[in-house]
Parts: sequence; C-alpha cells; structure tokens
Amino acid sequence: MFSKALFKQSAKANWMRWLTVTVATCVMLAIVIIVLGNLAINDIRDSLKNVFVQADQESSLKEEAVDAYELYMTSVDTYNQTASFSGMLGVVTNTYDGKVNTYKTENDGAEPSDEQKQIYIEETATQYSGFAGFVGMEEAELKAYITSILNFYITKYDATKDEVLFDQYFLEQVYTEAYAVEIAKEDATVESATERANSAKEIAAAAISQYKTDASAQDYEYKRENYVSYATNYVNNTIMYDNVYKMQIQAGATEDEAKEYAVTVKVISNTAISTYELWLVEYENQNADVEITAEQKADAKSRACESITDQIPEKVGEALSELGNMDMYGLIIGSIFYRIAGLLLPMVFVIMTANSLLAGQVDSGSMAYVLSTPTKRRTVTVTQMMYLLWSLFAMYAILTVVSVISVWVVGGNSFAINFGEILLFNLGAFLTMFAFAGFCFMCSAIFNRSKHSLSIGGGLTIFMLVCTILGLFGSDVVPSAMRIDAMNFFNYLSIISFFDTVSILNSTLSYLWKFGILLAIGVVTFIIGVFRFDKKDLPL
Amino acid sequence: MEVIKVENLTKDYGNGRGIFDLNFSVNKGETFGFVGTNGSGKTTTIRHIMGFLKQQKGSCYVMGMDAWKKSSEIKKYVEYIPGEIAFPDLATGTEFLKSQAELLGLKDMSYANKLIEMLQLDTSANLKRMSKGMKQKTAIVAALMADKEILILDEPTTGLDPLMRQTFLEIIEAEKKKGKTILMSSQMFNELETTCDRVALIFGGRIVDIADVNKIKHTTFKSYKIEFINKKDYEYFKTLNFKIVRDQEKYNQVTVKISNSHLKELFAELKKYKLKFISEVDYNLEKYFMEILNKDKRSDENV
Repeated sequence: MFSKALFKQSAKANWMRWLTVTVATCVMLAIVIIVLGNLAINDIRDSLKNVFVQADQESSLKEEAVDAYELYMTSVDTYNQTASFSGMLGVVTNTYDGKVNTYKTENDGAEPSDEQKQIYIEETATQYSGFAGFVGMEEAELKAYITSILNFYITKYDATKDEVLFDQYFLEQVYTEAYAVEIAKEDATVESATERANSAKEIAAAAISQYKTDASAQDYEYKRENYVSYATNYVNNTIMYDNVYKMQIQAGATEDEAKEYAVTVKVISNTAISTYELWLVEYENQNADVEITAEQKADAKSRACESITDQIPEKVGEALSELGNMDMYGLIIGSIFYRIAGLLLPMVFVIMTANSLLAGQVDSGSMAYVLSTPTKRRTVTVTQMMYLLWSLFAMYAILTVVSVISVWVVGGNSFAINFGEILLFNLGAFLTMFAFAGFCFMCSAIFNRSKHSLSIGGGLTIFMLVCTILGLFGSDVVPSAMRIDAMNFFNYLSIISFFDTVSILNSTLSYLWKFGILLAIGVVTFIIGVFRFDKKDLPL
Repeated sequence: MEVIKVENLTKDYGNGRGIFDLNFSVNKGETFGFVGTNGSGKTTTIRHIMGFLKQQKGSCYVMGMDAWKKSSEIKKYVEYIPGEIAFPDLATGTEFLKSQAELLGLKDMSYANKLIEMLQLDTSANLKRMSKGMKQKTAIVAALMADKEILILDEPTTGLDPLMRQTFLEIIEAEKKKGKTILMSSQMFNELETTCDRVALIFGGRIVDIADVNKIKHTTFKSYKIEFINKKDYEYFKTLNFKIVRDQEKYNQVTVKISNSHLKELFAELKKYKLKFISEVDYNLEKYFMEILNKDKRSDENV
C-alpha cells in the first residue's frame, strides 16, 4: 500500500514548490505577528475605549452624587413632616409602658406574652388615633404608624444610644427601605446591599442632624431651599471627596494624586447636583402648584447624569463603542492572515501538487512507467496521498513553530493573542488545507486531464477563498460601520467558514465541531479519490 | 503456450471508434505485430493487455491471468514501452532509471548498464531537454532493464531517424533471440515484416487478418513486370495462358504472377521477344494486406 520509491519521486518532483510556499508563508506570518506586536495598533482603539469607559465611570459617579443628594433632601422632607409627631411619642410610650407595668404588678413581676404585648400596642394605637388631626394624618394612617413605632420600641429600640426613639425609628426605616431597593438589583449581594443601606442611613443621619441644628434656632421654619446648599456641600465634600480620597490613598496613590482625583470627582458631583436641582426647579415652575412627579425626578436625574457619549447620536455611539471594543489583532491575525492571506500560498501548493501527483501524470503519460512495474494502483494513490499529507503537515508544523516563536518574541501570553490561540489557529488552518487537499486529490484522481482536474479542484478552492474575502465584509469581526450584512451570504459558500477563528478567540467551543466537519470533508474526499482511481480507465 | 490471449475483446467509444470483438493470442517466444492506421485501435488493445483499461466485453489474459483484475500481478512478467514518451518530473536520466529500478525492485543494474552502453546513452542528461531519440533510448532501458518475459511496445519507432530505428530493431531482434514474447504495434509494414512472426492487421477496430510473415516471405508465387518493345509481341503475349495481374497498355507492360514451378516455361517463352526490361515485383506484407483490403472493398461494393 506504500511505495518508498514513488514517495521519493514525488518529493523530488515537488520539493521546490513546497519550499517556496513554506518559506514565503512563514515570512509573511512572522512579519504579521512581529510587526503588529510592536506597532501597538490598538492605541487608537484603546483611547476610544477609554472615552467610553471614562464616560461610564463619570456617569455612575454623577448618579451616586444625585442619589445621595436626593436621599438627603427626602430625608429632611420626611423628617420635617413627621417631626411634629415626635413630641407626642413620649405620651404614647408612657401609656404602653403603663399597661405593661400594670400587667407585671398583677402577675408577680412576670413579663406579658408577645400576644399580650400586641394587644396593648393595639389598644394604645387605637387610643391615640383620635389625634390624627393634630399631626396632619388620617386616623388609620396614624394608628398604623403608632403600631409600627411601638413594635420598633419593644424589639429594636436601643435606649443606651444617645438618640431619641423617633430618630432611631426614622433611620431604621431609611435603612430598611434602602436595603430593599439594593437587594432587588441585579448582581446585588447581602454585603453590597448592607453597605449601601448603611451609607444611606449615614446620609439620612447627617440630614436629620442638620435639621435639628436649624430647628433649635428660635425662629425656625422649615424651608426646602435652605437645605439645597447643605445637601450639596454634604454630598460633594463628605460623600464624594472624602470617600474618593480615602479610596485613592488605600489604592496606593500619593496624597497629591488622591487630592487631585478627589477634587475632579467633587467637581463632577457638583455639576451633577446643580444640573439636577436646576431641572427640579424648572419642573416645579412648569407644574405650578402640583407636586413634582416621580417621572419628572427620574428625567431630571438622567439629564444630570448624562456623559459625553450620551450626547452622541445612539447609532454613532454604538459604532464608536464597537470600534473601541474591536479586537484588531484577532481580526488581522485570525480572520485575515490565517483564514485568507496565509491560506493562499498553501492552496496554490495543494492545487498544483495534488494535480501533478495523479491527473498530471496520467495526462502526460508518465504514470505508465510506474504502472508498468508491479505497483498496484492503490499503492500509487495511497503513496501520493501520503506525500500530499506529509508535505502539508510538515508545512504547518514549521508554520506553527514560526508563529509560536513570533508570539514569544512579541511578548508571549501577554500579547493580544496567546500561545493556545495561535496553536489552534495553526491547527485550524491545517485542517482547512486538509479538506482542500482531499478535494483537490479527489479531482486529480477522477479526471484524466490536468485541465479538468485543475479547473474543478483548483477553481472551486480559489472560489471559496474569494468567497471568504467577500464574506469578511459581512461578518461580525468587521465593525458595523464598515459591515455590509448581505455580504455574509458569501460565508455560506465557503468551507473556510468552518475554520471559526472568532470562536477560538472567544474561547467558545463551537470551533471544535467545525474542525470535525473539515476533518470529515478531507477524509471522505481522500477515500473517494483512492477508490475512484482503482476503477477507472487510464489512457496510458 | 499462449502467453497473451484476447477473446472477443470489445471497447466501444461510440461513433464507430474503439475495438470490436478482437480475438488473437500470442504464443511463448513469438513476436506478434499489430499494424493499422491512426485510430484503428492498436493502442486501445495494448492498454487492455496492460490492464489500464477495463473491457466492456470479452476477456484478456496475460500468463493466464485476467489483465484488468490482476493488473499489478502481470507486471511481474511484462515490460512496456508506451507510445507517448513522458517521463516523471525528475532531473536526470540516471535519477529516473534509479527510481524505476526501485519501483521494479531491481538491485542488479548490470543489464541496464549493458543496455546503456549498447545504446551509447548519456544518462546524466537533463530529462526534459533530451532529444526524441535520447528519450526513446532512455525509455527502452527503463523497460528492458528488468529483463522480464514479455515485451510490449506501442509504436516504438515513431519519430526516430532511420539510423536510430535500425539500432532499435536490432535490440528487439536480440530480445527475441533470448526467447522473449514480444507484442508490438506499428504503422510501418516493413519493420514488422523484419521482426515479427505473425502480424495482425487492424482496421476500424477489427482484426481484418492475421498473417504469417514467414509464409509471405516464402511464397510459392512470383510476380514479374515485363515491358515489350513491340506492340505486336505485347498483344501476342497476352493471348498466352499466363496469369496477368496488371495490364498497362500504354507502355506495353504486363505484370505476371506465376508459381515457382512454372518459371522455366515463362522464361522460355520470353526468349522469343524483344524486351525493354523485366523485373521481379516484391511480394510483401503490405501487398498482402492491400490485396485483402481491396478484396474486402470489392466484396463490399458487390454487396
């Protein structure tokens, strides 16, 4: 099944072509990798990417500032509305305590059961709900409110803290609410929600303390406008500046650096809050006497948190962002070199060699010399197939070594494409050529004329390469600004599409079954070629 | 013993091309010739014997083995010089012969060297730049060096100069003397006549006749062309009881066919006339086949 003499003959007849193609492809590959590695083609791309990253960061900083500001203002507002109730709270707790004490006296100092406590709470709440008019609430509303406070009083109230019951209850409410909002968000953890809720509580505490300072002044009357500057200052200085400064120092920045960055953040925060407040005032004026709606607030917030990129039209923004995220190395090395440029010369080698191994020799008649010796046709085809595969394998083994060395030279795994990916690229290119080799070999075995073998085998092979070139303009690796989706049609006409460099770069596994298809195409066509050659008439 | 046996071999390429119901056999030690015009089917027949083509009907045996099925088996006995000379893509003649020897499993190159010497061949020459004669010589060495039992040649002398052709025929003669069975095709009657024992005439894909060359060479008939000076003598001679195969009245010429035993009578008669010339007309393979073809044609016309 194998003839050493014939193998030697084929090697002697084709080595020049093999060497030329191998050397040329290796040089091309090395240049592509080394030049790209040193040229830092991703600079522009990186700066573009940075614009978007910074815009995102800025946007989230602004959001944080506006949220803190809004929380401060809401806390003060709510506290102001319910503060008139706090005076009444001493009487309420006294009434409740009285009921409990009575119970204790009657029952030899034993604590009342939980059910009994709830009954006392209910009684107390009902008793005081009649005062609803004085605190500006509905009766049922006040009753629920008292029930809630009393429950807090008997379970969570910490009398040792230097805080009045009402303030503690208020802050607890802020905490609970903030926690609920945070934990409902995607990718929230208990830790992150707790942290956020704690900082919300902190802001609310600051707001209350400010309110109390003002309230202790004799002629106090609550005016929202007064708190705009309080809130702004608090958020800018305490929340944004101090926190950022601390974080920068922790991250290892010098004091000056930390200060500079913190000031920048403070300025961003200030801008956002001013814009937000301006929009709120604007809506207030538009609404005349009606309260500002939640949508209007949300709108004001989104306007305040806009970054540069939000001002670019959506499609342009998308295109720019995509350009920023494009993998230039992957595109040039994977999609352009390994799937197109680097395939061309090996293709020429395979087309010409496959033809010269069988059809060329039948056409010229030189096959007669081999077949007039006791060499079976099967031996001829298997030997020639082995030569074609061996030469292709040797070519890609050398290409692999050259590519790995080139990647190593430009920085190994820190290069945009790592060793694993470059090895898979070489394997993929080899399997693609294996499929084409099988196809060309089959044509060479089927046809007795070189011109037929070349025009079908070579023609279709080159056709597929051209389709891949055209299809590139419709594939996802090209940014949408340059992409013509209809061109993707060409990718369906070429088996090179089974060499999925994008899948390799994205570490998805779909390239594996596609490799399997390439392998199968090669194996089947080689087998057809071998069997067909056994049975056909040879004009020798 | 029949070394090559062809029975009802048919390969129809359509439009009347191909070979139809060929029957012949070549015995051991015999030299068998194939003669016919271009496209008459000589090469197609040889390709079947070599196992390169699969027959549509009939059978073809070499050494008792089916030529198609045991194609590689019969090559142990067969050496072949193809009609078209195209060598593998190798640099020199030496390289080609070495590669061929490896394929043949041939280790002893003494006979090859002897052939090279006999043919005065420079094997170190570039294969592609060789002249037709040199290529033919190389092909001969490549085929003969294994010294197998059967030699098949497809129009081996086409394109050779007369001197080369003579050398070539001498080599064939030498091979024949060794007892090899030889099958060769040609368009030239005379070279087959000198080398072959039997010659088949193939025409339109069918064997018209298989002639025994020795019988033709030693015919019992002779033909003479005679020109008379006087018209009167000419007229008179024609009335006599000789078999006249050709009559050219314009020149007073007749061609007479006569059996060897009656030669004396003819010459006795001729003494009586004044003759311008008398010459013996060669009877050869070409004449023989022409007669057959003409007869066929005539019988065709009669039908």
